[in-house]
Amino acid sequence: MVTNRKFRSAGPPPPATTLVLDNGADTIKAGFVAGGKASEPRIIPNCIARDRHKKLYVGSELERCRDFGEIAFRRPVEKGFIVNWEAQREIWDREFFDDTAPQECDPSETRLILAEQPNSLPALQTHCDQMVFEEFGFASYYRGIGPSFNAYQDVQAVFRTPREPDTPVEIPAEVILLIDSGYSHTTVTPILQGRPLHQAIRRLDVGGKLLTNYLTRLLSIRHFDMRNETYIVNEMKEAVCYVSLDFKGDLEKSWKGTRGERREDYVNGAGVAKDYVLPDSHTRFHGIVREYEPGASSRARKGAVVSTEDVLTLRNERFAVPELLFNPSDIGMRQPGLADLVMQSLSVLPIGLWPGLLANIVVVGGNAKLDNFIQRLQMELLERVPDECVVRVARPADPITSTWQGAANFAMHEHVEQLAVTKREYEEYGAGWVARKFAAGLGVSS
Amino acid sequence: MNNFGVIEIASTTTKSTPGWAYVPDTGPTLPAALQPTNRKRAARNQPALSLSDLSAREETRIRKELEALDRDNPRDLSIPIPPKPGGSGRAQNKHTSNVRKILQSQKTFANHLDDYQAMLALAETNPAAAAAMNAALAKPSTPTTATAKSASPAPTQSPSAAGGSKRSAAAAKRAAAKEKQEQEKERKRPAKQQPPKPDPSPSTQDSPAPPAQPPVQNDGATAADVEMPDAPPATGTNTSTTTTTTTPPATAPQPQPQPQTYPRESLILPPYQKPPPRPHTGDNDPLLVSYVPPFPTDDELRALMTAPPLSYLEARAKWGDGGGEEARYPPRTFCAVCGYWGRVKCMRCGTRCCALDCLTLHGEECVGRFGG
Ligand SMILES: [Zn+2]
Ligand SMILES: [Zn+2]
Repeated sequence: MVTNRKFRSAGPPPPATTLVLDNGADTIKAGFVAGGKASEPRIIPNCIARDRHKKLYVGSELERCRDFGEIAFRRPVEKGFIVNWEAQREIWDREFFDDTAPQECDPSETRLILAEQPNSLPALQTHCDQMVFEEFGFASYYRGIGPSFNAYQDVQAVFRTPREPDTPVEIPAEVILLIDSGYSHTTVTPILQGRPLHQAIRRLDVGGKLLTNYLTRLLSIRHFDMRNETYIVNEMKEAVCYVSLDFKGDLEKSWKGTRGERREDYVNGAGVAKDYVLPDSHTRFHGIVREYEPGASSRARKGAVVSTEDVLTLRNERFAVPELLFNPSDIGMRQPGLADLVMQSLSVLPIGLWPGLLANIVVVGGNAKLDNFIQRLQMELLERVPDECVVRVARPADPITSTWQGAANFAMHEHVEQLAVTKREYEEYGAGWVARKFAAGLGVSS
Repeated sequence: MNNFGVIEIASTTTKSTPGWAYVPDTGPTLPAALQPTNRKRAARNQPALSLSDLSAREETRIRKELEALDRDNPRDLSIPIPPKPGGSGRAQNKHTSNVRKILQSQKTFANHLDDYQAMLALAETNPAAAAAMNAALAKPSTPTTATAKSASPAPTQSPSAAGGSKRSAAAAKRAAAKEKQEQEKERKRPAKQQPPKPDPSPSTQDSPAPPAQPPVQNDGATAADVEMPDAPPATGTNTSTTTTTTTPPATAPQPQPQPQTYPRESLILPPYQKPPPRPHTGDNDPLLVSYVPPFPTDDELRALMTAPPLSYLEARAKWGDGGGEEARYPPRTFCAVCGYWGRVKCMRCGTRCCALDCLTLHGEECVGRFGG
């Protein structure tokens, strides 16, 4: 990996340690870069949780929770942006700054690289900058949009592009179209040489939270009332949901049929139906996926067999939920699906850039882990672009930490020296100057 | 259809605001809080709305459902910050007034968004008032103002992005409005008895004080960028080679790269470096020639790469924007009971069902819910 270190000639040297934070709505990805090396990031729940016994858990303390029944969350990040600093500060204190913090550091000797979502509100950005310098007192700081950091990776390795052994890895990547599908929403960001093309960034307000809530609603209509079981439903979503490559076909396979009829596909499951054993809060704290066993759940419910298990049979819920990423109008949202989102983004760019962007689509964020996500997007894009266009969609090995990995590489790249501001600069020039400098980004030298 | 004599009128301004907030008057309202209004977009979207056959009642139902799907918890609750477990925390130095205010704020994202939209709306009609409000929100001039030219390695932002697309025009207009605010503040500054020397401490720009000015440095850069003309791209060295093209890099097996037709002159995206593919007998077959779109010039690229960010609502994708018709597909309807296609409608409430089984099931509920 190329790690250029060029320091600006003037001024004190930058801090030796960098704390890299991808501060997501659901989880914080956190780790250090020092001496040209990046540590493994920790994934920290970004919440204060309260279980049904009124016990409170802050951030990574949630590991100690066993019974997630009826657990409720307070989240400092809303719509992808840090809104509640009272809660965020508490979590950061306990994870990074307190004496006993698992990743303790001294901000006055540390640089902070913070990933934020695109298109934030200026007031929230200012709050963030003020907290970083005036409350935590970091020595140096850069706040940049998460998608751009993903360019600071070996993107061609993600696509498994054949390469001569002696070819240098290009960092940042020349051209990528970065899709970030997280807890709050899904964004499309075209990026050239690490510079986001701001005018073409588009957002779809469908994210993991909405998918989980939708699954909760479907289950509550069709099976049990799961409305207070967000955590359990979310686990279920991650375990059983998939993106359909044949929505009509899968829907047929999961339909019982008309009046009293029971179609064969419905009876035998047709590969779509799965059984899910719910946690019982005594012996089993996490759900279990099982192959569909015809009649298992209904027998259990009728008490025909002695069973302590609550079993749900999931059918079209498995794919109708992630379908919202591709057809938000299924629940009445007036937004285009993901493939059209990409086309809307491209539509404001010169056509000459399309081939490069379409051939280098990288998907990150938790939703990228849904089975067939990549394939479905590629399929739908091929329907929308000229025949001779190459469409390549890929996800990195770990789509959840990808933004963090990129930001860590960025922290070792010469670009960081161009962009970071020091506490002194903040004190001298003010928050407005810092905000404008971050917004201006790298620019293009000519 | 029996609507029980009540038609709910959908409304967007439903948030409860701790303390106060400016609420934008956005004219005709769109039905969903999840589908917030931007007046220009909203105007463009009107035809799509009128084509929609949803009644106000169904609109309301959908809005409520979408709001519910947007929640973090099923019900309102306040979870307190637990006391630190006996540990000594980070040395609690005294908070600056900025920090104190931020920590005490109970505003939600929706509150902040309302504030911001109101400020933008005001900036279009009444820059002076907007400037005052802007200051009241303790918000520095927004990053979309392309003023970060002075000092620092931060590059200039070119507002001439994309040759006057509606969006960039709007951004420029907004930026111009902001510039007026800046000027306004400049004028007010002496009246507010600010110390003549630049504020060394950011805490003094608390609340109504204007944000600190960009520093002037001795490298000849100027901080006085009050006007927002369509500035020529920054110190362009490459402006003469306006026909510069190159093959898109890293596009795997892309349309036949033909280096000789692609001058390697782009300084922004390096040209295709690898040797051309082996000649093929079909290379000159007119039926097999693929069309390679012209690559943008370096000027175009520079404009794109330095254009300012869009606002939160501008970035939100909507039906009807380029690349898609209003709704690319007619909305699909599903059975409210089992999730299969919704092929029949409940006569009483209009809910969709797949067939008689589910309709019967729904009917029991439908009766139960409304007492006949
Ligand atoms: Zn049905
Ligand atoms: Zn009904």
